[in-house]
Amino acid sequence: MTVVGTTPPPRLPVRHRTAAGERAPGGLSPMLTRLAHERATGVLVREHGTLHLAEGRVVHAESPLAPGLDVLLTAHGALDPDTWRAAQDSADGGRLLHRGLTPGALEVAQVSALYDAAYFALAPSGTPGRFRYGRAHWLASVRPVPVAGLERETLRRRALLHRIWPDPATDGARLVRADPAAAPAVPSRQAAVLARVDGVRRAADIARELGRPAFHTLVHIRRLAAAGLVSPQTPPVGDHPPPDFADPCIALLKRVRDALEAL
Amino acid sequence: MPGIDECLLETMRLPGARGAALVDWTSGLALGTVGDPPGGDHETAAAETAELARLAAEQHAFGPGDDAGPADPPVEDVILSNRDSYHVLRFVPTSFDSSVVLYLWLGRSEGNLALARIRLGEMAERLVLA
Repeated sequence: MTVVGTTPPPRLPVRHRTAAGERAPGGLSPMLTRLAHERATGVLVREHGTLHLAEGRVVHAESPLAPGLDVLLTAHGALDPDTWRAAQDSADGGRLLHRGLTPGALEVAQVSALYDAAYFALAPSGTPGRFRYGRAHWLASVRPVPVAGLERETLRRRALLHRIWPDPATDGARLVRADPAAAPAVPSRQAAVLARVDGVRRAADIARELGRPAFHTLVHIRRLAAAGLVSPQTPPVGDHPPPDFADPCIALLKRVRDALEAL
Repeated sequence: MPGIDECLLETMRLPGARGAALVDWTSGLALGTVGDPPGGDHETAAAETAELARLAAEQHAFGPGDDAGPADPPVEDVILSNRDSYHVLRFVPTSFDSSVVLYLWLGRSEGNLALARIRLGEMAERLVLA
């Protein structure tokens, strides 16, 4: 008896998303990973923010979508604006400590601002990043963060937002209150955010006004959206749609394009 | 006046201390860690600590009475015990808008819960208040 069998075609390789994420957590920006390996010092400018590196570690970050360290420290009177300006002009972080701010408080605020701005800086971008070698940032000694840890945290933050409420529309759009008939009780930190939702402000505006990290505000707004209290305003014709940070397919395509352009 | 690492190392000098961390309870970020993590991983432990802290801080029932006036954070600490250890979370008041807890994992047979609670409170204040 002869059995005629056809060899089944080889299975197509499937890239399992979570497994790939665990294997290569540094996939957010290949350029950043390379800069970490070569212990580079300078500034990485990306579409949604800037990362400052010193000897391959991230020491400071800025983004137009996140309040800076100066806003976090001055908004509630922890530091007066003149002291900040004096320290910035003389590039002397030690000056911040002479005016009632402890090293611990400065570290907490600096790390919060760094991870906050980096979350946006590492979002999928429409243009490739540019790195400029140079001197370390004046706050470089406060609390440097390893690149791998920063990228892992950024991925964890994306997953956290997705778990709270999977629609990313509230992250960048103007926000409106929904005011349902039987509104649930809102914790005080979320209530402060809700009080500023007026159909004009976006999450980034509210964060700046409250002197609070922008990612914290995104978390609060997603919780409010999940509770049915806040929704994104549908953009009028001609208004650009908000940047889409959380869609994994778009993120993957943009990473592929970034990687090709970086070759 | 210590930074984050000095504060955590001092926490580890308490008898029975197994591990300590400074955790942002809104984002789940570990701002600093030292010693052993409960469950084997500092980042997962931080995220779970944050979730517990958030639940405690956001429930109206656990805040001070209305006469005491508004407090931020409304809760001072959270203490959780199991057969072999204590988990102590101390909310850190800062002069800027933050949501940070000092976390300590304490062995039950060697640790002194009352002492640990008092010392955590002192260290949380020294970390951020001038």
